[in-house]
Amino acid sequence: MLRVGCKKFLGLGHQKNQSQAQILVRLYHERVVDHYNNPRNVGSFDKTDPNVGTGLVGAPACGDVMKLQIKVDEESGKIVDACFKTFGCGSAIASSSVATEWVKGKQMEEVLSIKNTQIAKHLSLPPVKLHCSMLAEDAIKAAIKDYEAKRAKLGENADAVPAEKAVNA
Amino acid sequence: MSIRKLWISTFAILRRKPRSSPLFSAYFNRNLESSRFFSCSSYHAEKSGIFESCRYRFTMNLMLYEKNFCSDSVDRRLSKCWNCGAVADSTLFLACDSCRSVQPVDSSVDYFQIFGLEKNYEIHGENIEGKYKDWQKKLHPDLVHSKSEKEKEYAAEQSARVIDAYRTLSKPLSRAMYLLELEGIHVEEGKTVSDLELLGEIMEIREAVEEATNSQALNQIQSQIQGKFECWFESFGKALQNRKFEDAVTSIQRMTYYERANEEIVKKL
Repeated sequence: MLRVGCKKFLGLGHQKNQSQAQILVRLYHERVVDHYNNPRNVGSFDKTDPNVGTGLVGAPACGDVMKLQIKVDEESGKIVDACFKTFGCGSAIASSSVATEWVKGKQMEEVLSIKNTQIAKHLSLPPVKLHCSMLAEDAIKAAIKDYEAKRAKLGENADAVPAEKAVNA
Repeated sequence: MSIRKLWISTFAILRRKPRSSPLFSAYFNRNLESSRFFSCSSYHAEKSGIFESCRYRFTMNLMLYEKNFCSDSVDRRLSKCWNCGAVADSTLFLACDSCRSVQPVDSSVDYFQIFGLEKNYEIHGENIEGKYKDWQKKLHPDLVHSKSEKEKEYAAEQSARVIDAYRTLSKPLSRAMYLLELEGIHVEEGKTVSDLELLGEIMEIREAVEEATNSQALNQIQSQIQGKFECWFESFGKALQNRKFEDAVTSIQRMTYYERANEEIVKKL
């Protein structure tokens, strides 16, 4: 009987610790806090630069805006630099910061395979903040799309210029 | 055997609806007897034609029964007080006027009805604060601390609902979102928006807020945002009137962005 009583007492104690641990887990994960206090790659590139792709996305429900820019090396198709500017919650800022870190030094095709679930796992985002990681994934895709569109437009102009030269000649 | 089944089913129906006025049950008994007469005749007839007509009659009686029950439920809309039994004088029945006891929450009553307003996106000049205080004088949980557990529960739920209603209706953006919800449209959480013109504008505003050095500049930006917000609020109202819900959702998204920017300015001031 004493043993049962002791077990119960310990059991209660164990529950208390569990509830305390649960309270702690609900705070921001340390990686998110780190990205918030020491954000990497904040800044802006020149939008008109042909090697820069700009992704601008927003989450209307919470009023977040995220801008992610990539600088691509023309010949190799490799992303040499990236920067971001995000107005929103800590999770959104951290997600875009992580995104800029991950795309650096990768090929464009490779970067398209980055999923929001990977970002969310890395930052241990709670379910209510999963849309922030989705926003970051969409920002990466939008930046790539913008770069490709720019390249295509430049390609068109390049075709037009020799035609003009031929006409002039 | 078929008669027995008929009997069992009709008694089951009777048992399932115990609440019935005497007049109503008399009517139903008459129905039963008439249907019994018809079912008996079907048993004796053994002709499919007569059985069909009997079945038709029986369903007719059932339909009449249902109709009767429907009219009963329409009367039930004007609910009765659980404490004193007094009948409410309108569908808005949060507290009984005779015995002053708080009633259970009726979620079919929407926020506009609680404040006696029409479902409109504008509520200029309406004194909802006064009405809110009047309601709380009747429903606040502190007033029922010496009453039954049931009433305490009702008071807690009702006053919480009135508080929700007041908060939702007093701010234009939440009022607009609530109006859309009443139409069955929820402004979706997870969708990302790529309207470059809108986002570019918001980015500029947010950057300006970040870089603003003094309160004068912030106030200037704030009044600009306020102007844009009001303009989009008007367009929301028009879209809602014309039932163009997609435009209404777009207006709400823009207003959410302006609202966020405004919050940032307020934080900075």
